[in-house]
Amino acid sequence: MSASETLAFGGPAEAGEISSRQGAPSGGGRLTLAAFLHNRRTMSGVGIVALMGLFCFIGPVLYHTNQVTVNLAIINQPPGPGHPLGTDEYGIDVLGRLMVGGQSSLELGFAVGIASTVLGALYGALSGVVGGVGDGILMRIIDTLLAVPLFILLIIVASMFSLSLSVIILILAVLSWPGVARLVRGQVLALRNREFAQAATSMGSTRWGVLFRHMIPNTLGICIVTATFGIADAIYALSALSFLGIGPPPPFTDWGTMLTDGVNNLFNGYWWQVYPPMFALVLVVLAFRQIGDALNDIVSGGQTGRVFARRRRRFGWVPMSTRYE
Amino acid sequence: MRKTRRLAAAAAMLALATVLAACATTSSKIGSGPTKVAGKPLNGGTVTVAEVGESPNFIFPYPPSTNSNGYNVNLTMGLWPYLVYAGDGGQSIVNPQESLYQSLTYSHNNSVITMVLKPWKWSDGVPITSRDFTFVYNLLKWNYQNWIGYTQGLFPVDVKKVITPNAHTVVLDLTRSYNPTFYTDDVLSLIALMPQHAWDKTSLSGKVGNYDETKAGAKAVYAFLQKQGGIMGTFATNPLWQVVDGPWKLATFNSNGYYAWVPNKSYSGPDKPRLSKVIWTPFTTDTAEMNTLRSGTTIDLGNLPLNDVSQTSDLEAEGYVVGVLPVAGVAEIVPNLWNPVNGPMLRNLYIRQVLEYLIDRTQIVKKVYAGYADPGNGPVSTLYGQQWDSPLEKAGGPYPYSPSKAIALLKANGWKVVPNGTDTCQHAGTAAGDCGPGITAGEPLQFQLMYTSGIASFDQQNAAIQSSEAAAGVKIILKPEPFNTIVSTTGYCNQQTHPTSTCSWQLQDYGYNPYTLDPSGAGLFNTDGFGNYGGYSSAKENQLIDATEYGSSSAAFFAYENYTAEQLPYLWLPNASNIFVFKKNLAGITPWNPFSGTLNPEDWYYVKPGS
Amino acid sequence: MTWYLVRRLAQAIAVVFGVMVLTFILLHMEPGSVARAVLGLKATPARVAIFDHLYGLNKPLYDQFGVYMWQLLHGNFGISYQYQQPVSTLIAQRLPRDALLLGLSTVVALVIGVPTGIYQAVHHNELVDDAVAGTWFTLYSAPDFLEAFLLIALLCVEFHIFQPTFPGGISSVVGVLTDWRALVLPVFVLSINSVANFSQYSRSTAITVLASDYVKVARAKGLPRQLVLTRHVLRNSLLPVITILGLSLPGIVAGAVIAESIFNYPGMGLLFWQSALAHDYPVMLGGTLVIGIATVTGNLLADVVYGVLDPRIRYVSQ
Repeated sequence: MSASETLAFGGPAEAGEISSRQGAPSGGGRLTLAAFLHNRRTMSGVGIVALMGLFCFIGPVLYHTNQVTVNLAIINQPPGPGHPLGTDEYGIDVLGRLMVGGQSSLELGFAVGIASTVLGALYGALSGVVGGVGDGILMRIIDTLLAVPLFILLIIVASMFSLSLSVIILILAVLSWPGVARLVRGQVLALRNREFAQAATSMGSTRWGVLFRHMIPNTLGICIVTATFGIADAIYALSALSFLGIGPPPPFTDWGTMLTDGVNNLFNGYWWQVYPPMFALVLVVLAFRQIGDALNDIVSGGQTGRVFARRRRRFGWVPMSTRYE
Repeated sequence: MRKTRRLAAAAAMLALATVLAACATTSSKIGSGPTKVAGKPLNGGTVTVAEVGESPNFIFPYPPSTNSNGYNVNLTMGLWPYLVYAGDGGQSIVNPQESLYQSLTYSHNNSVITMVLKPWKWSDGVPITSRDFTFVYNLLKWNYQNWIGYTQGLFPVDVKKVITPNAHTVVLDLTRSYNPTFYTDDVLSLIALMPQHAWDKTSLSGKVGNYDETKAGAKAVYAFLQKQGGIMGTFATNPLWQVVDGPWKLATFNSNGYYAWVPNKSYSGPDKPRLSKVIWTPFTTDTAEMNTLRSGTTIDLGNLPLNDVSQTSDLEAEGYVVGVLPVAGVAEIVPNLWNPVNGPMLRNLYIRQVLEYLIDRTQIVKKVYAGYADPGNGPVSTLYGQQWDSPLEKAGGPYPYSPSKAIALLKANGWKVVPNGTDTCQHAGTAAGDCGPGITAGEPLQFQLMYTSGIASFDQQNAAIQSSEAAAGVKIILKPEPFNTIVSTTGYCNQQTHPTSTCSWQLQDYGYNPYTLDPSGAGLFNTDGFGNYGGYSSAKENQLIDATEYGSSSAAFFAYENYTAEQLPYLWLPNASNIFVFKKNLAGITPWNPFSGTLNPEDWYYVKPGS
Repeated sequence: MTWYLVRRLAQAIAVVFGVMVLTFILLHMEPGSVARAVLGLKATPARVAIFDHLYGLNKPLYDQFGVYMWQLLHGNFGISYQYQQPVSTLIAQRLPRDALLLGLSTVVALVIGVPTGIYQAVHHNELVDDAVAGTWFTLYSAPDFLEAFLLIALLCVEFHIFQPTFPGGISSVVGVLTDWRALVLPVFVLSINSVANFSQYSRSTAITVLASDYVKVARAKGLPRQLVLTRHVLRNSLLPVITILGLSLPGIVAGAVIAESIFNYPGMGLLFWQSALAHDYPVMLGGTLVIGIATVTGNLLADVVYGVLDPRIRYVSQ
């Protein structure tokens, strides 16, 4: 089966498929720890993420605040003694909230990024290895899932369960794996025709052996890149949910929710409710982008950023049909 | 977006209140004329009103039973006002000057009403006659099932026959006796006259006849008018809708909800419009509206979101004045006394008292609503209808915020109190000092509170309640939901029927219940009241409500009011006022009339700058 | 090619049908009564019964679906519960507005994104590459509602340069165009949010193309740098962009609920969102159908155009 045939069954061309059509990936392709550690850009990205992690998870140990009890007596106070970044509309300390909110944002991001990548990679690899009619059916299922409106799902889930962080992680993971699956499938289709796979098959390896021994390790690069992006997108998605008013109830917070609440008070001049979470959010997203970009360079042999670009489907942009992938 | 739902929900409920009238009133209160703002009125000028949320989609004044859009009243009231004009300035009284009747006489033990209509004219010069009333009656008689305003058993079903002795007199022979005030305030105040001479036909090109006098004809005419009434593209051009008896005519209507009124030059009533045009411009959200207000020029009158109250000084710099409209209604958390899990708990009065003691209403008013709210001391708003406030409510109600009293109550009833944890019942049983009937040993004091999502102040208020309840170990789990979802999952639960499918809700704060002209508890707290979702039932309560319905003393009303405040069929909450901003050279906007169902631009006018 | 198209079309129909079935089931999983959600808290059982009967909500689910599909085959999308207007009318009003706003935003993002992407590729791994990418990604990572609010605060409230919202009187696309100044802010916000997509895609491709043998040969032959960039690099970098454009189609049809709500621009996004809140089934199903069709069409277009532009791709039939 040639690469062109894959298109006949192919879903929409995603980045991974594009690279497959332009010939086999050149160069290394496999991610090594050494390459990772020696890349200046990955290390700076990782450094920022690590610092943020420390700030959010270790910070509260050193800086004690009550993040649960609403205190109407001290709402919307500007930065000052006792509250270095002021208080929010619930009378809760903003600096402490930045830490707790960061915990939710980072947990959400990592959990969704990893869960959707694992699920999507397995499904996509399976689809690619099975090929033929099975592949066609699996891909059509994905198309169907991608076209079911997000709003309907969210409102229904919200009316059946109390929205908590874990429920949101679950929903977002379920919603975001199809995009990853497409990407990985494209890569697997390209790899399948490469010599090592054909050689393995001719030497008697089963399909599944090829899948687990060769295909999945070879798609690890894209998967990691995808995951870094899934993290940023999940954080953004939750902020959109809170903006639309269907996020989890207070006192839960995350950076996106803080931003939403802050924007509500923007004209009131409560800048300390807007800029700190904005700064934190942008910094972390940029750091992940840095990591993803650099990883991609390593994976693709140090010369291109081929599989890196992903189309992000955002609420503001594509509110329901598809969702951020 | 977070702030958007309030107005839509509130307006929809306000409309429902006018449409589905409550069932009682007290004493007669037909009063004096309105207090108008003085100034040197200018003639002419255009006022642009911002309308947030939904917009009208039906122009025929009798929408079908599937159309619950509360904004239709905004469109039609200025064109076809009701027989009885409710509200006068800020007072909850009937306004006889603006009403279409000259006199209303109740006789034969209040089962016959003789109504004399004023000698007013339709906009095409044809006099308004008793035939127009029989036209309305005939159409509704055969079609009331398909009228959203129909209330079980009331008009037109309760009418034995209608006699018209002359062109201006209508005699309504009713099937039973009514309290006259109730019938005037809550039934006749929902009936608009229709021009028989222009609308009694079955097609646009057809001739006007007396089709309404037969069943088949009435059905055909009603179907025709309802069909035309839903075609948004022709609202402003359809000749049917140009025949009006109100102060305004519709000049423009766009399908996105933008519409404009111009004065009805032949309006017969006393309040002839001074403005030359009123434009209603739609906004998707109050965020969008607020941004427009802040940047200046295009809006003359708009709603100020509570969240932005602190910006009044900036808006004043942009040339606006801020006005406050207290909302006639009661805001509450409804406890479901028949929830399968903790209904038995909530049926114990002391549990409801504990919950109420732990709500710091004064602080919520001050901090969440910036002072623009009624504190919610009991079933009647203290900002509204001063004559209805009992001394108990004025003094802060029976249960002012007091964590110590709440803890004492719990301890006295056999609970183990764990502040910031979850209390558990230690002494199950029904003896004094025990937790009470239906509560098992070790049962946690825990409730799920469902509330309308997407409103910043609601999030704030309910999070504050969650925290203050936690101080005495009452665990509240918050569950914000879109307004419609709450509505669709809230069933009526009572002793007879409380299926798990529709009675799994425990505590609920969907907004507020609006009052019609009188702040009566009928419909809310009587055993079979339409607002009694939680299944509160008390013989004494029913009796006290009945006493307010037929008696006329304020003593009877206060007795009802105090008993209800103490019994907590609802957990009382602060009720936020509506805040409006309008251009400072615009007069006649205050005092507001919250009862007419819409705004009254016929009272508005520009004044000379500096006057 | 024909056989390929026929098969793709058949698959597309199957996918759209699947989406409709799935959405229908999801809608009916929602707890509570639709009639009560639409008619309000005080709806009497009698009125609920009338509503259920009128819209067939008391029938079994498969029956309701059958009736809906039958109507659909006759071009009838049903009547909105909430707006009491035909769903087709609502979509016909809203869709062109989104096509204008989001179409324009996409074009603007494209015009900014592709050249900067190629520029980054030429200066790959230099400081300027990182700086440009950093800028786009900062804009990308800040939520769009935040950018919109900051711009409104600055340009509309502080300096009164723009109107922050669309005037309410405009109902047609022509009307929107006559008041084009109101379009500036939303188009700007929506496009700066997606420039990163386009620039990153074209950057990646351009890097590959620049490293390829034929570009090296072209340069070696002495072709001017400018000519190589436009003739080879730009053309090849457009390929993935076409794919994104195809994939953007459902997004354009679906609207942008957050931008629409902030800028008072009632489009498909708000329609759909408000219907979802109000349990307005006919509108949600109609919207799902339109978006589903746009999704498969976009995919198909992307693949076909891609094949036409890139001679290396052939459509084969088995």
